[in-house]
Amino acid sequence: MAAAFVFYFFDPEEITFFPRCPFLQITGYECPGCGSQRAIHDMLHLDFKGAVAQNTLILFLVPYVFLGCCLTFFNGKRRFPKLEELFFGKWAAIIVVSGIVIYWVGRNL
Amino acid sequence: MNRYFYIDSEGKQKGTFTPEELKSENIKKDTLVWTPGMTEWMRASNVTELDAIFAGHAGSYSPQPAAQPVTPPAQPVNYGGSQQQPMPKSWLIESILATVLPFILCSSIFSLLGIIGIVHASKVESLYARGDYTGSLEASSQAGKWTKIAMWIGIAWVVLWIVAIIFLIAFGVSMAGISDVFSGSGYEI
Repeated sequence: MAAAFVFYFFDPEEITFFPRCPFLQITGYECPGCGSQRAIHDMLHLDFKGAVAQNTLILFLVPYVFLGCCLTFFNGKRRFPKLEELFFGKWAAIIVVSGIVIYWVGRNL
Repeated sequence: MNRYFYIDSEGKQKGTFTPEELKSENIKKDTLVWTPGMTEWMRASNVTELDAIFAGHAGSYSPQPAAQPVTPPAQPVNYGGSQQQPMPKSWLIESILATVLPFILCSSIFSLLGIIGIVHASKVESLYARGDYTGSLEASSQAGKWTKIAMWIGIAWVVLWIVAIIFLIAFGVSMAGISDVFSGSGYEI
């Protein structure tokens, strides 16, 4: 909640105290997470176009992580085994990881 | 009095313990235990000698005839294909989260740890399905180990962040010099 508050009221684009990506600093290439803070800022302002422009991946990952946390917290293994298998099964893991890698390569081309 | 092995909540085999020591290990009714003479791991609540642990009063079991020599740890037995043991915790969902979260938190390098976790986690289920319970337990504890390492590094990272942000708010905002250093590359994360 506090994090959402910070990201809502401060624009990472303008204010410089937000941490920067070490990978970008060192290599000059954007990592798959670069732009996520700006994207979250845009999303909290319901500016989805802006969020897509900053980091499309985060648009999918934020709800995904939220779902994962909910499933872990509410013991999804027992209560929603199908849902968990679909989104957090072995194949889901492979798809998510390869999706991230493809996005990584794609955005630096 | 028999000495027992048991499998802890993280899937590690521990032992050996007397029933009294098991009690102080805080085992649960569904904890799997094994002692020489048993063909399979059993839930602790199904072992007569261990009833006293759950009855709430120590010392009520009858004395056993003779102390048996401790035999080498039998591997968890499951070669008959009967899968009565519950599957060890797979850690899959946790390790996926540990892989994905670093990208949001701008510590993408650490998601490698999560990926190692996923590799081990995905073995847990397939080994278990094949009937290799020992391998499955092993994979489970490996997956748990890497996921926990990733998690602790993640927590340390977030704490570092918060400290850095507080520091910069307190000292940096008014000092243009410092913010110049931090905006050096022109890109935020």
